[in-house]
Amino acid sequence: MSADVAAGERIEGRCLCGAARFSAELHDAFMSACHCTMCRRWTSGMFMSLAVKPESLKLEDESTFGMFASSAEAERGFCKTCGSPLFWRALDGSSADVSAQAIDDPSRFPFELEIYMDEKPANYGFAGQRRRLTGAEWRAAKEAANG
Amino acid sequence: MAEAAPRTGRCLCGALRFSATPTSLDVDVCHCGMCRRWTGGAFMAAACEAVAIENEAAAGVYRSSDYGERVFCKRCGSSLIWRMQDGSSAHVSVSALDDLSGFALAQEIFIDEKPAFYDFANETRKLTGADFVAMFASAEDGSGQ
Ligand SMILES: [Zn+2]
Ligand SMILES: [Zn+2]
Repeated sequence: MSADVAAGERIEGRCLCGAARFSAELHDAFMSACHCTMCRRWTSGMFMSLAVKPESLKLEDESTFGMFASSAEAERGFCKTCGSPLFWRALDGSSADVSAQAIDDPSRFPFELEIYMDEKPANYGFAGQRRRLTGAEWRAAKEAANG
Repeated sequence: MAEAAPRTGRCLCGALRFSATPTSLDVDVCHCGMCRRWTGGAFMAAACEAVAIENEAAAGVYRSSDYGERVFCKRCGSSLIWRMQDGSSAHVSVSALDDLSGFALAQEIFIDEKPAFYDFANETRKLTGADFVAMFASAEDGSGQ
């Protein structure tokens, strides 16, 4: 595993055009991919993200971000100028995930989790072994963790 | 040239709807640094003709190079269409389509810009950015995609 990645590290990210910038402290030291139908429509593929500490997520200039409440529990932030999807966060402050692809060198994050496997179309899949959860399994795991 | 019928699609929030006719049922994945930042993953798209956006007012357009531009939903930020500014070609987000049936992952481009941390398991044709630009240039002669 990448020894240079550790929970608590502050990472910086930006959109394609550079107008929307953020920083946050890592909650986990790995990357995950979400295949849910909402993330797929939002991203064209799947959302590759890094879990961050919700209270640590800082937007450099909030006016550059568009926010969309995608459910009763969560909102999604994106760049108003270029449309890059940048983060997902729970409205109650319990969790937040930022785009791994918004970071300059995402390669250093190990890819350890795929979620909403039950909503993934059969026509693509990732190679390799890792934890793979259905939406129900993921929600249960999250509830147990937030206990 | 069109092998498939027109399909409808929309962004996550539904404000931006479109129809488009795929020129084949091949899904192309682009791993270039611009597409990865723009999508939060990799751009998974189908080459389409006759792309018609129902509500242009919902569409944001960002010119990401001298020749290309990217269309997104201004309300929810969904990454939807990469197209040539001169209208000569368009690639549409395959996950925005209402009906995904028949599509298969066929080609991966800018494989040299793909970070090492993910790989698709599918058997695909893989092109570097240089390969792709060369192919695109020869297609400009009128023969190709
Ligand atoms: Zn931007
Ligand atoms: Zn939308």
